[in-house]
Amino acid sequence: MNQVYRETEIAITDRQTMRRRDFLRVIPALGVSSYLAWPDRLALQAAEMRRQGKACILLWMQGGPSQLETWDPKPGHSHGGETKAISTTIPGIEIADTLPQTSQVMRDVCVIRSMTAREGSHPRATYLLRTGYLPTASIKHPTLGAVAAQQLGQLDADLPSYVRIGRGPRQGAGAGFLGVAYDAFTLSTAEKLPDNTSLTTDPARYQRRLGLLDSLQTAVARPSTDALVGEHQGLYKKAARLVLSPDMQTFDVQREPESMRKAYGDSEFGLACLLARRLVEAGVTFIEINLDGWDTHDDHFARTQRLCQQFDQPYAALLRDLRQRHLLDTTLVAWMGEFGRTPRINPRGGRDHYPRAFSVALAGAGVLGGQVIGQTSADGMEVANQPVTVPDLLRTICHTLGVDADRENNSPAGRPIKVVDGGRVVTQVLAGA
Amino acid sequence: MTNQPANRYDASRAVHLAVIASAAVLHAMGLTPWPPITSLGAEGRTVSPLEAAARLDQLLADGPSPAPRVDDATFLRRVHLDLVGQPPTPGEIASFALDRDASKRSRITEKLLADARFGRNWAHYWRDVILARRSEERALLVAPSLTDHLSHRFNANRPWDTIAREFITATGKVTENGETAIIMAQQGKPEETAAEISRIFLGVQIQCAQCHDHPTDRWKRQQFHELAAFFPRVALRPDREAMGRSFLVISDDAPRRFVRKDNDSRRRGTLEHTMPDLQDPQAPGTRVQPVFFLSGEKLDYGTSDIQRRAQLAKWATAAENPWFATAFVNRIWSELLGEGFYEPVDDVGPDRHASSPATLEYLTQAFIASGYDVKGLFQMIMATEAYQRESRPRGAPDAPVFMANTPQRLRADQLFDTLTAALGISIPEPMVATGGPRAIRRSPRYQFTEVFGFDPSDPRDEVVGSIPQALVMMNSPVLDLATSARRADGLGKLLREIPDNEDLVLELYLRCFAREPSQEELRTCLRYIKRVGRRDEAFEDLLWSLLNSAEFVHRM
Repeated sequence: MNQVYRETEIAITDRQTMRRRDFLRVIPALGVSSYLAWPDRLALQAAEMRRQGKACILLWMQGGPSQLETWDPKPGHSHGGETKAISTTIPGIEIADTLPQTSQVMRDVCVIRSMTAREGSHPRATYLLRTGYLPTASIKHPTLGAVAAQQLGQLDADLPSYVRIGRGPRQGAGAGFLGVAYDAFTLSTAEKLPDNTSLTTDPARYQRRLGLLDSLQTAVARPSTDALVGEHQGLYKKAARLVLSPDMQTFDVQREPESMRKAYGDSEFGLACLLARRLVEAGVTFIEINLDGWDTHDDHFARTQRLCQQFDQPYAALLRDLRQRHLLDTTLVAWMGEFGRTPRINPRGGRDHYPRAFSVALAGAGVLGGQVIGQTSADGMEVANQPVTVPDLLRTICHTLGVDADRENNSPAGRPIKVVDGGRVVTQVLAGA
Repeated sequence: MTNQPANRYDASRAVHLAVIASAAVLHAMGLTPWPPITSLGAEGRTVSPLEAAARLDQLLADGPSPAPRVDDATFLRRVHLDLVGQPPTPGEIASFALDRDASKRSRITEKLLADARFGRNWAHYWRDVILARRSEERALLVAPSLTDHLSHRFNANRPWDTIAREFITATGKVTENGETAIIMAQQGKPEETAAEISRIFLGVQIQCAQCHDHPTDRWKRQQFHELAAFFPRVALRPDREAMGRSFLVISDDAPRRFVRKDNDSRRRGTLEHTMPDLQDPQAPGTRVQPVFFLSGEKLDYGTSDIQRRAQLAKWATAAENPWFATAFVNRIWSELLGEGFYEPVDDVGPDRHASSPATLEYLTQAFIASGYDVKGLFQMIMATEAYQRESRPRGAPDAPVFMANTPQRLRADQLFDTLTAALGISIPEPMVATGGPRAIRRSPRYQFTEVFGFDPSDPRDEVVGSIPQALVMMNSPVLDLATSARRADGLGKLLREIPDNEDLVLELYLRCFAREPSQEELRTCLRYIKRVGRRDEAFEDLLWSLLNSAEFVHRM
């Protein structure tokens, strides 16, 4: 019955929102669609239609990734260390030799080398980059993903609007005063289905239990509980719908062909990127993936090298895959961490926290790729031109996603708080600007 | 700082006015004006909780239709959850039902107040109040010592002003001195610590004035920083001996002259607090003297850390400052009735309007007169008819207040304990005191708290259930195992020991809801058991359904 209902729904949406041509364009591009089980195809089609706004994949580099070993190498200077620069597919743009695969997709990437901030502590800077505000005891600001879920997501969809893959940072991670409805739905890893979504009994018995629960809760009318029961039943309906939804198969990366998993690299981060693409296809608004370990106060070069290896291939594969599926125009891929690292190398062969000049990278969703914004000085210590602040960056991200950065939400104390306070859209980031 | 604003608010005068105003309210209601603080009773003696409760009910304006008095079973579960954080056992339910003594409700209250679980339950509550606003994860280190500290204090019935004073003046190793929790949670930062102390103990959200004068509040930015000026010499250092697994809160009266400018550490104090220049945040800012915003009392520059904080503690908890008592009374009342005089519970003060102000005033003064007797306050509130009414969902904002009790979603610890009690199994609590935040996070209780926890200061009607919570209750492998009929304990044991289906249904209802099933519910259950056929399976399903119902996760 469920299936019949869904088919009808799709037929209606088909006429309303999607032209036949779009279908023809999307389906062959998948290549593998004929091998997919029916519910899988259904999920893909439904997703394509459900997706009205844009999507964002945030690649969060926890610990403070080094700009010098990624987007802003300084090979000629003592601060550059042993890292070399390599050319990319865009003449004139060089990045660190740790990122060979990324260098091949530079036409989609916009690097901002002139990020500048003042927060040098992990928790505070993490909170700042992810919410646009400094932490206070009185107000818990919503993280970017929660804001996107609130403004772009569809609360009535089976899948959550905001999904986090892997344990993210603990600061600036929640929906704050927007409320739990916009909190991330968190998966401990891309390698298995989300916690507590696999039934502990067979489906028939599960349905039977839900039936018993319903009949017991409504067996006796009680003025003290009736309103609660109604609310509770709504929540359970939603949770049960998620668990029983065919869309749940979206979470199963093993359904991707071997070749596709290879392309992303069979690492945890690679699988997470692949899952993120599946979720974007299924209409999820915001997906966040965490790559931890960038806090390299010692043994910096070897450790950073390993981290770069972890994201280089999946990152390039993700951009290629999104482009091939015509999803890159509507999907922003943001690469960032809480700050950069000191250009000066410390005695333990490490780099320390450095918020004054660091890099982030944006791609997709109308971002003009193949360009670098801003420069740092030859020694990497200062932003030489076009400084970009955190509010500037967040406002720009909001702009590409169609999120209203000036919308005011009320904190519990009734204070109106803007999504982003201050800052200006960095128009050079945008295609056609 | 010599150029004080000319129209500076005279706090003590306003407090005085507030007292006069409330006396006027009482007078207008045809009641006697405010009795002197020490003699709320007729003959100059301190009133008993029961007398006070009767007076409170008298003061509450009668609404059109107050909810009826709650039945014994619901009352017993309510009072258990409210005081000791877990439901009564089937044996306790039976003996309470059989008890014919008219005073049994106040006797059970008294008994549970003397139970050691009382301290622990409320220690969990205040741990959440403080740590929900932590600005850094390492603050979790203080959670075990904080819980222990407060458990002891509440069980020994130490007065609330003593408890507050300990928090404000705390020093020492955070993993051994739970009273350092507020400072630890705010990383020793003067502004944040001051803001939290004001919010928690005075119910005044003065931090709104941190960056600019507030448009609707009287507090000025200057006053906020004057409060922060009680804390500049507080330092927070990693404890070398504990290898990074603990911190020390230190009075640092001799900070180095040149301190590395660093945003993230308070390893050293500063001699005096400075208020940043809003136009030029890099500039050194202006030096600010410690002044207590509610009374205008001040300290000289150069005063030592211990003196500053001791003095602040004294002024903040003084009987002449009603906001200290009001904040506590408002919180506890709100927890017990589901509705506060002021909401949110930590936003009180002269610019807010209380519902039923006369009741609040009486309660506040009775609490002050009792010498901040915490258990006495619980007794007083729980003896009122208002507390003992049936629960109803919250009314419209303009509906008369306190005409019913309100269903409350269980806090994570209450739910965890209720679950283990209902299942009749024990989940071992790991040794968390030495393991650091990681070990704390691995404990089952903490993981449960992660999903079900909420900030107890948030308005309770905004605390709603979430999908991950429903998923844990419905599908978690841990709960599936815990409800299995194949267990040696728990449901398995009950199935073996109670052969009669009707008896077993009754037992599960007592354990999960602390009441008997209604006829209709019993019929539904028996019908279901018959339909399924397999007894074990049917009772697993029934237990699953009871645990997943709205009634289980609320106190009614």
